Amino acid sequence: MDEPMNDAPGAQVKVTFTTNEADLQLPEEKRQLLVPADIRRYGLSRILNSDLMLDSGSIPFDFLVNGSFLRSSLEDYLNSEGLSLETNLTLQYVRSLIPPVFEASFEHDDWVSSVDVLTSTSPAGRWSGDNFSRGQERILSASYDGLLRIWNASGEVLVTSPSASHGGHSASIKAAKFISSSQLASTGMDRSIRVWKYTDSGASGQAELKPTLELYGHRASVDSLEVDGPSKRILTASADGSVGLWSTSKSTSPEADPSLLPNAHTSKRRKITSSITTPQRGPLFLMQIHNAPATAAVFDPRDRTVGYSISQDHTVKTLDLTTGSVVANLTLSHSLLSLCAIPRSGGAPLLAVGTSARHITLVDPRASAATTSVMTLRGHTNKVVTLAANPENEYSLVSGSHDGTCRIWDLRSIRPASGGETEGGMGNVSEPVYVFERESRAGKKKTVAGEGAKVFGVVWDKELGILSGGEDKKVQVNRGRDVVKE
Amino acid sequence: MKSKPVEKKRKARDEESDSESDDELGNGLFDGVLEASEDEEDYIPSDEIDDGDSESEASEGSEDTEEEDDDALLSDDIPSDVEGDDEMGKLSKGAEELEITEPGVDPKPKHQEEEHRNYRIEKDANGGERYIYDEIDPVYDSDDSDAQGPVNTIGDIPLSFYDSYPHIGYDINGKKIMRPATGDALQSLLDTIEVPKGWTGLTDVNTGNPLNLTQEELELVRRVQHGLVPDEGYDPYPDTVEWFTSKQETMPLSAAPEPKRRFLPSKNEAKQVMKLVRAIREGRILPYKPPEEREREEEEKEEVQFDLWQDEEPAAPNPMHIPAPKLPPPGYEMSYNPPEEYLPTKEEREEWEKTDPEDREKEFLPQKYNSLRKVPAWGTLVKERFERCMDLYLAPRVRKNRLNIDPNSLLPKLPSPAELKPFPTVVQTIFRGHEGTVRSVAIDPVSFPCSNICMTNADHQQTGVALATGGSDGTVRVWELLTGRQVWSVRLSSEDPVYAVRWRPTKDAFILAASAGEDVFLMVPTHSSVTPTLDQASRDVLAAGFGYATNGQQPAAAPGKEPAGKWARPGTKLEDAGVLVRVTVRSAVKVITWHRRGDHFATVSPEGQRSSVAIHTLSKHLTQIPFRKLHGLAQTVVFHPLKPLFFVATMRTVRCYDLQKVELVKIVQPGAKWISSLDIHSGGDHLIVGSYDRRLLWHDLDLSNRPHKTMRFHPKAIRAVRYHKGGLPLFADTSDDGTLQIFYGKVPNDQLESPTIVPVKQLKGHKVVNQVGVVDIDWHPREPWCVSAGADGTARLWM
Repeated sequence: MDEPMNDAPGAQVKVTFTTNEADLQLPEEKRQLLVPADIRRYGLSRILNSDLMLDSGSIPFDFLVNGSFLRSSLEDYLNSEGLSLETNLTLQYVRSLIPPVFEASFEHDDWVSSVDVLTSTSPAGRWSGDNFSRGQERILSASYDGLLRIWNASGEVLVTSPSASHGGHSASIKAAKFISSSQLASTGMDRSIRVWKYTDSGASGQAELKPTLELYGHRASVDSLEVDGPSKRILTASADGSVGLWSTSKSTSPEADPSLLPNAHTSKRRKITSSITTPQRGPLFLMQIHNAPATAAVFDPRDRTVGYSISQDHTVKTLDLTTGSVVANLTLSHSLLSLCAIPRSGGAPLLAVGTSARHITLVDPRASAATTSVMTLRGHTNKVVTLAANPENEYSLVSGSHDGTCRIWDLRSIRPASGGETEGGMGNVSEPVYVFERESRAGKKKTVAGEGAKVFGVVWDKELGILSGGEDKKVQVNRGRDVVKE
Repeated sequence: MKSKPVEKKRKARDEESDSESDDELGNGLFDGVLEASEDEEDYIPSDEIDDGDSESEASEGSEDTEEEDDDALLSDDIPSDVEGDDEMGKLSKGAEELEITEPGVDPKPKHQEEEHRNYRIEKDANGGERYIYDEIDPVYDSDDSDAQGPVNTIGDIPLSFYDSYPHIGYDINGKKIMRPATGDALQSLLDTIEVPKGWTGLTDVNTGNPLNLTQEELELVRRVQHGLVPDEGYDPYPDTVEWFTSKQETMPLSAAPEPKRRFLPSKNEAKQVMKLVRAIREGRILPYKPPEEREREEEEKEEVQFDLWQDEEPAAPNPMHIPAPKLPPPGYEMSYNPPEEYLPTKEEREEWEKTDPEDREKEFLPQKYNSLRKVPAWGTLVKERFERCMDLYLAPRVRKNRLNIDPNSLLPKLPSPAELKPFPTVVQTIFRGHEGTVRSVAIDPVSFPCSNICMTNADHQQTGVALATGGSDGTVRVWELLTGRQVWSVRLSSEDPVYAVRWRPTKDAFILAASAGEDVFLMVPTHSSVTPTLDQASRDVLAAGFGYATNGQQPAAAPGKEPAGKWARPGTKLEDAGVLVRVTVRSAVKVITWHRRGDHFATVSPEGQRSSVAIHTLSKHLTQIPFRKLHGLAQTVVFHPLKPLFFVATMRTVRCYDLQKVELVKIVQPGAKWISSLDIHSGGDHLIVGSYDRRLLWHDLDLSNRPHKTMRFHPKAIRAVRYHKGGLPLFADTSDDGTLQIFYGKVPNDQLESPTIVPVKQLKGHKVVNQVGVVDIDWHPREPWCVSAGADGTARLWM
């Protein structure tokens, strides 16, 4: 390497711009460029956005060099990698991820176990189609005090679910989801899944939440719930190791097993009598497929007749929801706690699985896949209990963990696993792009094991951003809509 | 013999002097005789000199006589010294002898004897003259050694040999020497009372008479005893007589003038000198050696220097040879010109000078000289060398056998912890809520190996979701394991801590047992896993015994005797909370252990004396005390996971009882002073024992009663030990130092192999409160997770 050349003010590096994004392709002749050696991401981004190049206005770009994001000047990168300035660098430019900014916190009375949103771009909003009135974003939060709360975007509680004596949950709620703009489902430690009718009469009107259906079948706490609006199906995973498929309509549901109903036996225990009688139904399928608590089950984002379930018995199972049978079985090396399906353009989705071993494993569920464990995402210091994919693209996701942080991952930034990091994961390894902590803990000392700051639920919405609920009794909103700008 | 005649002569003279009163006169006579006959040249000024001369003269003369004497001896074998022997003299009086001895006598003494005759002349048998001499008195000075010669010839044997004979021996002629007449007993008694002068109490060997010493002999003995010269008059240190001195006499011995030859050059010398001069002139003598010759000589000289050890072969050092330790190499301070920092300050110098030389740390003070030329001689060189020699000489050198072994090679080959994953490494959930110490933890339910069978039940209840804890605040709490959410709580007692909580290990019911004080409570906690059916089933299990009791099938307790356990309902308040049965035993219960089938559970109340161990039957509401008496304080009990065996740990030993045959099977002696906890491997053949004296002991029950391995990893007492019961080869202990130690403990399938035990992780995090650290531990039934209960009021999930 020619040292004096490095120090020369006018040192230049020859770069080649590439991209995978079809709408941002550069003309062939413009791809090669000489840039100053001390240029950084911002400068490169401005060059790309300039009239001569893409003429795209002001899209922030990030640049991947050999699979990792460029975080310093080109010169520093070359020096750290021990490369010569004459090297022709290939820069893959991608739309930039913008750090999520804290926006708001919604205070609860108890731990928040799950969050969901209803916006025009959320699944429920899309499913409800015309019925959904735009501009009325709603946030649903499920809490350990057994209540569901629906908030508007400015942080006001519009409606709270009734208590146990009025048809509400008799124990903590572990999961809740909007099915449509007028319907939602919740489940929790009282083993029942409840379908609610939600009526929202505009910004000032009286919002109302009425239980319409109680579904019984699980024998232990139901920890996860997924809904599919069009087919009116609910997919649940319970600590008794079973995965249930339920219908939201009373008519299509079979009768419930009477022994599982809350008043099946008259015991001396204090009876919870509900003043409202709600129809009680059973599951379409109850698949007793796991040897340990099933922790999550999701629908395939494309094919709603296919589901995936994970369990603490280390398995990922692919389910055929039309027959209620297991199609494929995948065994990993740790207890699995959270699951989300990242749609991929070509066929089967990629499953992101959060484990008790503090990492996220990306799994290709196809039986034909050569490697089942595609990538390992490391960085959390505690159990990864919730995952949400970016609704806008196929390469980023957010994870929430008991360590009190949410981490945003970009699957494009990868590097091969080195020898020492083979523990618990295979394939490539990635580090988080952004980490954000609970705003309520800001400035306080970090607690051991994320005590008081555990994140239990996270959701990523195109409009509202990243919402997370946790042990700090808050739903925290972080701006996520610019994280990956269109 | 040689000087005998001389002596004889002197004796004779002494005799003579004795006989004569006038010494001077006698001497004068002698002198005259001697002078006349001997050397005329010597002038003898004094009597003494004369004496000496006469002696020498006499000795000269005696030479002749001696020769003659010898001849006589050769010619005749009869000894000549008959004169000394008085007895002999008496016995044998051969004339020839006397004839022979006569020539030995000097003519001069003879002449002398003319005047002092010490003999008389008699006629012998032939009519010739015969000289009869007087008896010679052998005075002390006498050389007559024969005079006292032994007469008894029996030799050196005890005289007692002759006690039975009338004689005591034989004389030289073979005649018996008769025993002298001894007085009777009275006489001997009188003799012993009146000790005669010189009495010794000894018997003369030669004569058989009592040996008495004369006054002179006693004096002699006394002098010898006192180390004095035996002769009284002898002066060993007489004043020196200076015969020849440097004193210039007024009258020289000779007044002859110096001879002429003293003033003339020596012709002989001149001759010698001329010889040398001639040699020098001719060049035969050179003032210096020619160089070539000198070189040659030097070479020769060098050649002459031979190597003393040239033939010595280098032999291997003697195995016992210990080389002297080397002196330490000199440091900078020993330099003649050391750097300034080594030079002593004034205070140091004063202190050094003040201290006693023996107490000084250094033998010397560093001193600075500008050049080597200014360095004086080293004053204490000899002393130093001497002390070094003394060190080498006096210091014992012992050969130590040092084993040249790499210490690492002695360590057992253990796999690295990274290969033994998974095991818990970090705390992941903290369960906070108890006030005061968390005494006990249990994850729902403890899964015994039979749980695999139970899994096939229609009721697919999953385990490992609920954590129960009991604390010093008297509450039992149930938590969601992963999130740390408390889902149920009940206060069993306001005073007594909850010492133990244990889940019933079967899945047909969801029952938790907890102890507070003397009470054991059985409860059905409200939990998400408790479906109405399960709840009902659990209540039925608990209530079944009440009917049994009322049916009167329970063996009636002896009248007037307190029953071992009273089973009752705890009251509506607790019953509403889910606590359904209370069993009251005689003293505070510290340990609860369930049998794998869930119908029996054992409790231990260490202060309970005879009733410290109780076995309760749930289905009959029956409490039994299996042991009439226990050897020591019962600490903990455990059921064998497969066989009807029951292990009771007292302070020192673990006893294994067969519950069916009701007999003692085995006594395990861990060697700990105070056992705190005990757990059995799910295979049933291995036991771990924790003790308050910081030891963790692994027992192979098939192998020995002694520990297979003893481990000491904690600086404080071990509180609890626990095996992983779900198939993972893990076990852990908890200690008062606030840590947990996780071990990998693989029990091989092959009976012959010994288990692999590797400490893999020490888990820190609990705070130590009042010297109490981590109190209890439980493993997750499937996963490598464990929950610990600490004195800091928290339970922690490690994964």
